[in-house]
Amino acid sequence: MAALRSSTSALLGAAASRPALRIARAGVPAAVRGMADLASGATHSNTASGENAKLKTFQIYRWNPDQPTEKPRMQAYTLDLNKTGPMVLDALIRIKNEIDPTLTFRRSCREGICGSCAMNINGTNTLACLCRIPAEDNSELKIYPLPHTYVVKDLVPDLTQFYKQYKSIKPYLQRDTPSPDGKEYRQSKADRKKLDGLYECILCACCSTSCPSYWWNSEEYLGPAILLQSYRWLADSRDEKTLQRRDALNNSMSLYRCHTILNCTRTCPKGLNPGLAIQSIKKEMAL
Amino acid sequence: MASIARSSLLRQVASAPKSAVATKPAFQKSIIANAARATAFHTTARRPLLPPLPQKVEGTVNDAAPVPPTDPSHGSYHWTFDRLVAASLVPITLTPFAAGSVHPVLDATLCATLLIHSHTGFQNIIVDYVPKYRVPRARKAFSWGLNAATVVVGLALYQYETNDIGLTETIKRIWKA
Repeated sequence: MAALRSSTSALLGAAASRPALRIARAGVPAAVRGMADLASGATHSNTASGENAKLKTFQIYRWNPDQPTEKPRMQAYTLDLNKTGPMVLDALIRIKNEIDPTLTFRRSCREGICGSCAMNINGTNTLACLCRIPAEDNSELKIYPLPHTYVVKDLVPDLTQFYKQYKSIKPYLQRDTPSPDGKEYRQSKADRKKLDGLYECILCACCSTSCPSYWWNSEEYLGPAILLQSYRWLADSRDEKTLQRRDALNNSMSLYRCHTILNCTRTCPKGLNPGLAIQSIKKEMAL
Repeated sequence: MASIARSSLLRQVASAPKSAVATKPAFQKSIIANAARATAFHTTARRPLLPPLPQKVEGTVNDAAPVPPTDPSHGSYHWTFDRLVAASLVPITLTPFAAGSVHPVLDATLCATLLIHSHTGFQNIIVDYVPKYRVPRARKAFSWGLNAATVVVGLALYQYETNDIGLTETIKRIWKA
């Protein structure tokens, strides 16, 4: 695909040649659906260009697969923050509803549990639904798809390789012996505690796509998200294939391309620590 | 973080329209001029090494990614050995400071450990940036080049240790020179 966003993307002409800069329409249409409208009416009247308008410009990465020869470009949208919800996802939904229906992005739960709306906002990979629109300054907010991914369209990255790698670690309980009482596989409280900070991962791919090592070697290196999941099954006291799981990681590429850069831990929108999980795997395998 | 992956040109264009251009489309021309001027400052030509290839999906999208064969000597043993060498360098390097002078055997140990440490360090760089699946022949050349360099440096250090003053003494003299 020609749309890998780290490829040359000289956008010199693009910004000017198209009607890139739009201003939010004056007056909200009567039947605007969705959350974008929630904030309106509450404190402010419906005048977008009024004195109280808090205008914020969003620079959004655009690329259309239907015109593959056209280079990716940044498109600017200006919204009145008084009429927009607090999060970046609210702004994106509002742009799609009211200004430009061709804008494409993934979203589902809008509360940080599905991991669909992972994107690069102002240089940090995060979930748009958990990222507040910085209201203090008037600077533009820049939104890109996840870095170093093949782009499907606009803000939608192709996560095929990510999911294939997830499948390769066999993310399910592997056991041969049945449970003693024939009911559940029981676990002590201490063993259950080992899974805290691991099971919460929603596989949004923010960490993997922030990892330079994963940028260079995503064909072979599993990346922080998958390794965190790997450790979730290595640490599970009920799993009986721990040795096989370790053997699958025991080569130069799968695990040991982690150089403790810790971008993963810094960027995780759920506050997890993939870096620590990877170090725990290395420690387990060393001793 | 992410800006490394972004082409510098794209970054320039994205950061150029700082002012309130939303209401003044007439300024768009000056944006282009700004971006062009900004890119002109990048005096080094862009030479992308190993630019990303078009996307290729092995098998179907539902197949798991292939699991490489178990290879501890390039995996866990290698990593553990790496850490042990790195950790042992700390006391070996500090001993001459504490003792004042140093026994030739300890000096030789320092040289050998340093050599191994830098060898595995360079090895890591080659594994990272000269991927086998992409440029297998270059990878082989780099690996053997590194091996040859390590042997040459090892021989040189051996000569230096046996026929000359040794590493610690050299640093001491340079320090006082």
